[in-house]
Amino acid sequence: MSQAPKVNSSSVEAAKTGKAGVRYRQEALDAFYDGFRAAGINFAAYLPDSMLDGVEQLMLERGGIECYQCSREDEGIAMAMGAFLVGKRPVALMEGSGIGMSGLILARGIVQKTPTLLMIGHNSTFGERYDYHGATRLVAEPVLRALDIPYHVLFDPADIRKVIVEAQATIEGQRIPVGILVPSHVIRESGEGR
Amino acid sequence: MNRTDLLQYISTLRNGDPMIISPGLANYPIAQAKDEPLTIYNMDMPYTTPMALGMALGWPERKVIAIEGDGSLLAGPGVLSTVARYRPKNLLIFVCDNGAYLTTGSGKAPTATVFGTDIEQLARAAGMENCLTVSELNAAKQAVDVAFTEPGPWLLVAKVDKQDWPLERGAHTLPMYVYEAGLIFHRAALQARSVKENP
Repeated sequence: MSQAPKVNSSSVEAAKTGKAGVRYRQEALDAFYDGFRAAGINFAAYLPDSMLDGVEQLMLERGGIECYQCSREDEGIAMAMGAFLVGKRPVALMEGSGIGMSGLILARGIVQKTPTLLMIGHNSTFGERYDYHGATRLVAEPVLRALDIPYHVLFDPADIRKVIVEAQATIEGQRIPVGILVPSHVIRESGEGR
Repeated sequence: MNRTDLLQYISTLRNGDPMIISPGLANYPIAQAKDEPLTIYNMDMPYTTPMALGMALGWPERKVIAIEGDGSLLAGPGVLSTVARYRPKNLLIFVCDNGAYLTTGSGKAPTATVFGTDIEQLARAAGMENCLTVSELNAAKQAVDVAFTEPGPWLLVAKVDKQDWPLERGAHTLPMYVYEAGLIFHRAALQARSVKENP
């Protein structure tokens, strides 16, 4: 079976400190990983982004979750849904702009009863510093609302694990996609990377 | 080459393997040949190959088949780079290239393959190795045989004509609604895996 390439610890450290000046909150990264494991997540499709890269690198480092990098977010969601259909518990990770590109595949997943967990960086809540994320923050939550996809905006890192577990329970019980949105302050050290 | 002949041949080799079919007339000959529970009909384009890729990675013990059209694949060709990155040996991508958006009604709207876009070369440029274009049915059958027996991932481009469309178009129905497809497929996959893993 094809496996995602392993990354060495130096690359993980680079992701934590970030060549772009990003420093992640280690306790938040740990909580995401622990939450995924507690929820039974065993398949991840992701397009690297500046918000969730630390989570993705940690999953690659620690293992236990098959990780696959895609070329577009809607492609990653379709991959995750395909994995669900064959018995995996998937998550698709992306920044909010990816949800903007994914209306059709999310709708297909709803109609076809083929869900996935969605982990989404950047959103419409407070804290977005960059003007060039203006379009990104306009599309994520409105698309989720338009499709009636339940979502939760994390605000306290202490909630990460519980929210992931409950989101996955909703996915399996209701067979609908569920989104978890991750603001900057939840996953990055305050004042870093801004 | 007649597309229906090729699809019926693929159906004879399928042996119940998971399959996703892009939107259009390709769905009906496959359903008529033999309906299988591990089938997703009429996938919205361009998600046939991406969803099949997720299946192939998530279930490496089974062959997974994507039935693509030229228009469908060209709507999201980036997935070929992801296929090349992970190289699932169990993924088979069959592209019926008729050079047209046939389901539009007139069938007169051409795809880019009419103007020189080469899907096989696109896949090779993305990093895939097992790629082939065939124009005759016998050659296509031989290529399909190889794809079903040799490790993939495979991408086979079959240059098909449009003569099947007047015959196929009509009041055909598929054996399941999209609304129930995910439930049927998921249940069948879990059952198959349970039998395999807990005989």
